[in-house]
This record gives sequence, C-alpha cells and structure tokens, in this order.
Amino acid sequence: MSCHTSPSTSDLGRSATATLPDTLRVLLIGGPNVGKSTLFNALTGARQRTMNAPGTTVELATGTWRTGTPGTLAPVTERAIVDLPGTYSLLARSVDEQVSADAVRDLARSCDEITCQPGVAVVVLDATALTRSLYLLAQVAETGVPLVVALTMLDLVATAADSPIAALEPGTLATALGAALGVPVVPVDARNRADAGQRDLARAVDDIAAHPRRLSGIAQPTSACCDATPVTVPDDGVPLLAHELAHAETLFAWVEQVIEQVRTRLTPEVDARTQTSFDRRHHRTFSDRVDAVLLNPWAGIPVFLAVVWLLFELTTRFAAPLQGLIGQLVNGPLATAVTWVLGLFGLGHSWLQGLLVDGLLVGVGTVLTFLPVMAIMFTALGVLEDSGYLARAAFVADRAMRSLGLDGRALLPLIIGFGCNLPALAATRILPNARQRLLTGLLIPLTSCSARLTVYVLLASAFFPANAGTVIFAMYLTSVLLVLGGGLLLRRTAFRDVHAEPLILVLPPYQRPHLGTLAMSVRLRVGSFVARAGKIIVITMCVVWLLMALPVTGGHSVGDVPVGDSVYSRVASGIAPVLTPAGFGNDHAAAALMTGFVAKEVVVGSFAQSYAVAKPADAARAGSLGEQLRASFDESSGGHGGAAALAFMVFVLAYTPCVAALAEQRRLFGWRPTGSALLAQLAGAWVLAVLVFQVGSRL
Amino acid sequence: MTLRDSPHGAELRVTGVRLPPAAAFRLNEMGIRLGTLAHVTQQAAFGGRVVAVAGSRFALDGGTAALIDVEQVQRPA
Repeated sequence: MSCHTSPSTSDLGRSATATLPDTLRVLLIGGPNVGKSTLFNALTGARQRTMNAPGTTVELATGTWRTGTPGTLAPVTERAIVDLPGTYSLLARSVDEQVSADAVRDLARSCDEITCQPGVAVVVLDATALTRSLYLLAQVAETGVPLVVALTMLDLVATAADSPIAALEPGTLATALGAALGVPVVPVDARNRADAGQRDLARAVDDIAAHPRRLSGIAQPTSACCDATPVTVPDDGVPLLAHELAHAETLFAWVEQVIEQVRTRLTPEVDARTQTSFDRRHHRTFSDRVDAVLLNPWAGIPVFLAVVWLLFELTTRFAAPLQGLIGQLVNGPLATAVTWVLGLFGLGHSWLQGLLVDGLLVGVGTVLTFLPVMAIMFTALGVLEDSGYLARAAFVADRAMRSLGLDGRALLPLIIGFGCNLPALAATRILPNARQRLLTGLLIPLTSCSARLTVYVLLASAFFPANAGTVIFAMYLTSVLLVLGGGLLLRRTAFRDVHAEPLILVLPPYQRPHLGTLAMSVRLRVGSFVARAGKIIVITMCVVWLLMALPVTGGHSVGDVPVGDSVYSRVASGIAPVLTPAGFGNDHAAAALMTGFVAKEVVVGSFAQSYAVAKPADAARAGSLGEQLRASFDESSGGHGGAAALAFMVFVLAYTPCVAALAEQRRLFGWRPTGSALLAQLAGAWVLAVLVFQVGSRL
Repeated sequence: MTLRDSPHGAELRVTGVRLPPAAAFRLNEMGIRLGTLAHVTQQAAFGGRVVAVAGSRFALDGGTAALIDVEQVQRPA
C-alpha cells in the first residue's frame, strides 16, 4: 500500500489561519443535511471565506472560530475551522466525498508526526438518524484523529417518532451517548438559539486536543501511514468491496451495540417506546403529510415546475428593476461625478477619463448590476435547501435528467439558464457531485438566455416578418436540442465517468430556514462572486475600451476615435473572413459578435452603431436598421440573406453567452475547463452556423 | 416481491438487494440492510418509493426499488 496521500488536501484548515502555525485545526465532518454548515456559520460568524479544495472544484468554507473576549479575563482562542462536504462514509464515491475523507486522514496523519500541528475532528451527528451518523463516526475514529461529537437536530427528534431512540430529552440523550462512546458529546442547537452549546463545544475541542481519547469499542489504527491512504469505492471494485463490506459489518455491529447501550441507560423512558415501536413506524410526521402532496405522482412534477418558474421570475422579472436602478446610478450620477472630479484636475475629455468612465466604471457597473440577480438566486436556493425541498426536487426530476447521467437537481439550473446563464451557473452548487456540477455548468451556456432574445427578435423581424414567431420558437427548440445533444456528446467523451446511478436519497425533515444562517451564506457567496468573477469582468471591460480607444488611422488621439477607425474595428475586419462560410462574413456582423462576447444585450446596439443608424426602441420594428441588415447579409451571403440571418442566430445561441458567465465559470471550475469550453463553444457555434447556412442557402 | 411492487403503508422487511456492488454497499452504509424493517410512506412517479427506516425517510427511484426484494410483515395486534 502506498503511503502517499494527495498533497491537495493537506493544507485544509491551515489555510484558514495561515499566519498562526500553532492554531488548532478543526474539521467539521458529517452527513449531508445534518446542520454542519449552520453550526459552522454560528461558530465563525463573519470570519469566513470560501475556497476550492486544492486541485478540485469542490467549494469549501473555511474560517476562524474565536472564543473569549479581548481585554477581559477570558483569553481569546482562535481555531482554524473547515466545513467539509457532507458525506455518509469515508469510503468515497465522489470527488466531494474524497475531499472530506482525505482531509480527515491528513489530519490524523499530521497528528502523528513529530512536528504535529494539533487538530480535532468535530463529527456532527444527526440525532434523528443516529444509526447512519454513528457509522461515519466509527470510520473517523478508526483514522485515529482526536474527535468530539456535536449532536444536532435535537429539536426534530420529537417529530421523528419512529426512530429507535426518538423523543428523548436532548441533554439525557447526549449524556447517554457520551457515556457509551467515551468521547465528549455536546448537544448544539445553532439553528434556534445563539451560543446553544457552542462554548461547551469549544471547551470539549480544546480539551480533547490536549488529552485525546479513543472512541469506546473502536480499534486504534495500526499505522498512521497506511490509514492515511485514500480509499475510494470503485464501481467495479468487487474485491475491495468484499473486504470493506466485511469490515463495515463490524462497524454496523458496533453501531447497534452503541444504540443498545443508550437504550439500556435510558431504560425507563425507552421501555414505553420500544413496546410501541412498531406502531410508531406508522406515525405520520408533518414532512410525510407535505410529501403526500409534493411527491405525489400527479402533483409532484407540476409543483417542481412551479418552483422553477418562480426562480425564473425572481431572477429575471423581479431582479430587472433593481438592475436598471443600479445601472442608472452608475452610468448617471456616478459617471457624472467621476467626470466632474477629473475636470477639476484638468483631465476632462482625456484618455484617462475614457478609461475610468467607459472602461473601469462600466465594468464595475456590470458587476454591480448582477449583484441583485446573484443575491436573489443564492437566497432562493438557500431557502429551498434549508427547507428540505431541494432533496425532493432531485427525486421528482430524477427521471428527466437520467438520460444525461445527471442528478435530478440539474434540471433546475438548466431551466433557470433560459432566464440568465449567470445565476444558473451559480445554481450548479446544489448538485452534490463535482463532475455533475462541471457537466451541468458546461451545458448551461447552451440554454438560450433572455438577452439573446433581442437578437432573435431583431433578425427574425427583419428577415422573416411573416414567420418571426416561428423562427424565435425554433431557436428555443434548437437550444433544448443543443443541451441534450451536448450532454450526450460530453457523456460519451470527456464525461464517461458520469453515469446515472441508483437514486438513494435521504429526505431531510422539512424545516423553517434560519434567516441568520441564510443571510451569512448569501453574503459569503455574493462576496466570492464579486472578488473572483467581478475582477475578470472589470478587466475585460477595460480591454474592450482600450481596443475601441486605440486609433489605427491618423488624425485621432487615444480615447477620441470613431469605432470604425479603432483597433476594435480592425480586429472585426480580421475576423469577418472566418465567418464567410456561414454567410455573415461582414465587418458589421463580426463587430456585433465581438460586442456580444461582452454581453448579448448590446448586440442590437452594436449593429445600430456600426450602421450609423438609431437603435430601434422596439427590436421587432427594425426600420432602417432592418434594411441595412438585409442589405449587408444579402451581400455577404451571395443573395441568401435569410439563411445567413438564421446562421447568425444559431451562432449567437451557441457561442459564449457573456463575459460575466465566463468569469463565473472560471470562479466555479477554474481556467482549464473554462478555456476548453470557450474554444469548444466558438468552434461548435461556427460549425453549426456554417451547417445552417450551407443547407439553408441550398433549399 | 420488490419494493417497487409495495403499496403505500406497507410494513416490509428487506430480504435481498440486487443492486450493483457499489450501490448496494452504499445502501448498507446508509442503514438499509438485510433484515431492516421499512414502512412505505409514499408512492412517487415512475415507481419511486419513499420508505421510513429507523426514523429517516429514504427516496428511491423506480429502477432501484425494483432491485430491492422485500417481504411484507404483519403488524402486531
């Protein structure tokens, strides 16, 4: 067995407080939906940030867990804490689970080294599902890492009346469990009460770091080296599974033994319950009653579609006025103020004013206008996730996404993409598997966002006035076909490892979302978008301004040049011949596509600018712009302007949606997949456009 | 009888799992093992089932439910 572990996860926890080498490292580990993130938010407050686990696209929240008050007798203690992805087992079956498993094993290994940096795993146990939680606890204990148990969901134990040890008094259950396990068990209720159990948890963590204790009944690791070897369950790994299954049986037996011990310690209370335990299996909980509607074979799918429609409306119609207001503020008073200040220093109408107002400020404005969309999307997803509905959505939509090998939840971002690709990309975070997130994120740009609609309306009205509606409908149909075709193609090539697996999903009880936790999560994610994607958007906008500001002909100065005499126009002229096989190899179309790379909303404006006509107030009434378009498309296509217009629309549908979506892809998936996707989108768009024109012009 | 054939409200005992090894193993880890008692709380579209096991609710798609063998158990009087 190899003794080497991936260096990728070794620094988890260290990175949270990198300046404090002796800081205690704490890993929060537990199953999905056990209240880990709620606890993490309660422990760290605003002292947290998101990062990708090194070498992966798995997003982690890291933070500083501080106790004590400066200037008082209570000493300030800081711990570096990491909220690991939820997992049912350390035998990983996905990249996300592997990150959790590796982090625990790395922590165990580092604790055995001479230069040991202290670390503790806080295993979060769901009181309503102890059997499952205890199995993971046993696996963590086997690594040899010092551990503390945080017992959550105690407020829901009463509703899970068919649990083997349900409806026990929280403190009693924690005491009995602690006695059976031999390690500290701290009841926490971060959802309902501030500091409920958090100080006790801090004391327990500090104590166990100083005086590690073993979990009762779990064998100590024989070698830190080999325990640190990452283990993954392969789909066809029967020999490993046979060995692991045999070992798991001993852990299952240990779990049963612990539960029995807890029962015995709580004899008077449990006796009454166990006598009626079979009857209790018939206890219909509140969640069961809600599920009778939301998972009903006839009502479940309409309810799911209604939820998606609501998200769609929130991120488009509801967000639009807020976006408009921000845009007006930035382009109006703010731009005027910057111009005025520059004028005071004698820099009015200079290239610096152009850079600041038309480059930097436009970029900042673009980022700011997306903030409402992102905040609304993250809030809505948080509500769906915290309430427990998201798991139901995965179940209801499972059938629809199975052919693409995707989780049912993938349908949600894909539909949202028809409103705006940016929040749709952000919504991929609801998928529990990194490869599925990436695959969905690569398909989202193929969903036809509302910004592309203005281009369809303009060209369809100009070239097919009698059938404009049919043409626009065909574009949306093409978008759906591209998503399906692209998904099947990717599954047969770069995503052969992504396939439909048996759906076995734990449905968490329905809960009221916790507003404080929700607000914290939204703030963190929006901040991450601004810091990581916003930077790219601003830089791109500045580069576009520079291209438009640099003259290629004499008689112009930097920042004071007509678009037709700028580097931008020269680049467009260079691109135009490449587009000739698609029938729209003219400078106007090339310049519009370049502008469309920044944002599709400005394509119509770009056409108007390059033809030197007024931008139509209504794209459906193209007027003189329509005439100009027909003339130039007819000329560049040899008299097949209609086919060229269709090809142009297909190109607009298939190539990069906008620089903001590109930046978000980079934030979520890194440069390599984003760069590859960009090239594939451009190549795919070109091939499709050429195909449409070549076939269309011969009909 | 398979889980997919089981009606809403049925009290069941798991008697066999014919899923691929990795999926069967994960089912074990999640708490559904041979001999486990389950109660069907919901019939969903396309043969999917929601079952209650030890206080938790598990959703299984129709294909998966068809590969889990169960026997009906009598509720004590």
